[in-house]
Amino acid sequence: MLDLTRESSLLNPVTGYIKRKGFCVHDTEMPFYHRSVDIYGYSKRNNKTIAIELKLHKWKQAFKQALIYQLCADESYIAMPQKYTSRVNLDLLSEHGIGLISVSEVGRCRKLIGARQSLVLRIDYKNNNIEFLQRSKNG
Amino acid sequence: MDNTPQIIIRMGSHAEKEYILKLKNKAFDGIIIGANIVEATAGATASLVGKKLNMPYYIDPMTYVFGCDLDGIRTERKKKGVKKGETEISYKRSYESLANKFGTFFSGILESRTPVAPDNFPFSSIKSICQNVIDYQLNRIREEFIKDDDYKEYASSINNPACVFSPYFYIPYDYNDSLSLFLKLSETSANINPRVPVHSVLCADPGLLNNKSFIDEVVNKIPKTKIDGVWLWFSNFDEYEADEDSLRNFKDLVKRLSQNNLQIYNRHGGYFSLILNKIGMSGISHSIGYGEKKDVNQIKGPPNAPVVYYYLPDIYKRYGVDAIERCLPDLGIKTPEEFHESICGCIICKGVIKNNPSAFSDFGEMHYAKPTSKRPSQTPAAAKRCRYHFLMNRIMEKDFVSKNNLDSIKERLRQSKYKWNGFDKIIQFKHIDNWLVSLS
Repeated sequence: MLDLTRESSLLNPVTGYIKRKGFCVHDTEMPFYHRSVDIYGYSKRNNKTIAIELKLHKWKQAFKQALIYQLCADESYIAMPQKYTSRVNLDLLSEHGIGLISVSEVGRCRKLIGARQSLVLRIDYKNNNIEFLQRSKNG
Repeated sequence: MDNTPQIIIRMGSHAEKEYILKLKNKAFDGIIIGANIVEATAGATASLVGKKLNMPYYIDPMTYVFGCDLDGIRTERKKKGVKKGETEISYKRSYESLANKFGTFFSGILESRTPVAPDNFPFSSIKSICQNVIDYQLNRIREEFIKDDDYKEYASSINNPACVFSPYFYIPYDYNDSLSLFLKLSETSANINPRVPVHSVLCADPGLLNNKSFIDEVVNKIPKTKIDGVWLWFSNFDEYEADEDSLRNFKDLVKRLSQNNLQIYNRHGGYFSLILNKIGMSGISHSIGYGEKKDVNQIKGPPNAPVVYYYLPDIYKRYGVDAIERCLPDLGIKTPEEFHESICGCIICKGVIKNNPSAFSDFGEMHYAKPTSKRPSQTPAAAKRCRYHFLMNRIMEKDFVSKNNLDSIKERLRQSKYKWNGFDKIIQFKHIDNWLVSLS
């Protein structure tokens, strides 16, 4: 059973989940301006990047951050404990192309809404992040 | 009488003088320097105020510090006369020096480690305490010139400060004795009748803004002290976060005090306080790039360098560069001209965004300051861009407020709200609603 009172407890299940989907993931938070993206991944096969904001329950704050991460990732997600996802305005997320991943108490992840390709992505930000990710993977 | 709002820039360190010197002729009305800064850098301050700047200056005596938790002005420093590396916790030299200059009462406060309070204040010595604090403000800069053989002949030509402040201390929510002390200090200072106007700083718990008895007492009693002006400082009062009632009470306080021929300033104010010029606020003070609110308690330990955010002129508030950048495509901004039209056309923004709006990211440029840095931080150049952009906008805001009536100012607030309405998930601007309601 996961301790879902701490945001950091979402990290391993969600990281594992997107790794299984073929993404290479940065070990620590990825800096973006003065913020840090909780999980940033890159799939070489699809040339897709993904940003995931982990939140226990303050989904509106996560939504704001996810919107901003559309600047630097092809797809932007919020990941939350399953028991709080019912509070989320799913229509709002869908309208803005933000995805939602729920995390169960045993750490199982499920995509509730798929993210759409970001229309505001800046290629230079994406490329910088991929480079940063690959550099850190190579030590 | 000129009703243009005054903007007094608060200089937090000499690193900021570059901004003041560059913009001094643009539209600022003076600088205010904390006496602790004067003590820490007496020569440089005297040179700046006496020679380089030709503008009104104010020295804030910072006496409130001696009434707060004194640990806030203690720091770890090298021990004198012992081996290298040994340190001790002691008072910051600037405050020690200041206390000595203010006289035995203040130096005794540091020695006894007991902050000033109404029940330990020596009322029998109140006149000499006020006199010392006022003399300090009148003479400190001149003394620095007199000390220097090359410059002493210029000492007599140094201007007086624009006003002197009476000693002041924090007034807690349980205010009776502290307010009495404030009034007594104000009255005594006014009676000294120095050759410049006497102002005081109403430094108080922000909850008192909603305390009708306190406000009534302040409005009734301050004019009787015969001081010429009051600088309001409700600790950590934040125009952007304050609710409608607090903002309205703040507005009413300004209005009522100013009707008594008092000059009213907000010691840490932003655009809302600037608008209050229309109902009696003489001016505002803030730092370079931040400082529109301040907690009376000193930050313990070394201060962290804050990120200097981008000031969004439409909304009169700072936001992360990333948040604003996220809005640009949805605002339909694709060219520099559209950026300058819709976001900001100040000289700084025109310089940064010449060919492509994507250059906006330069305002948030980050780097790893040292090879050992674990996290990136804003580059000094980016921080400088943000500060200059903010100051240029503040100058334009001053101009706008001075040339328009309150209805036009409110109408512009409404237009801003309308324009940004679809972006409230990224750019929060509840303060605009609160301002509009409180100004009605």
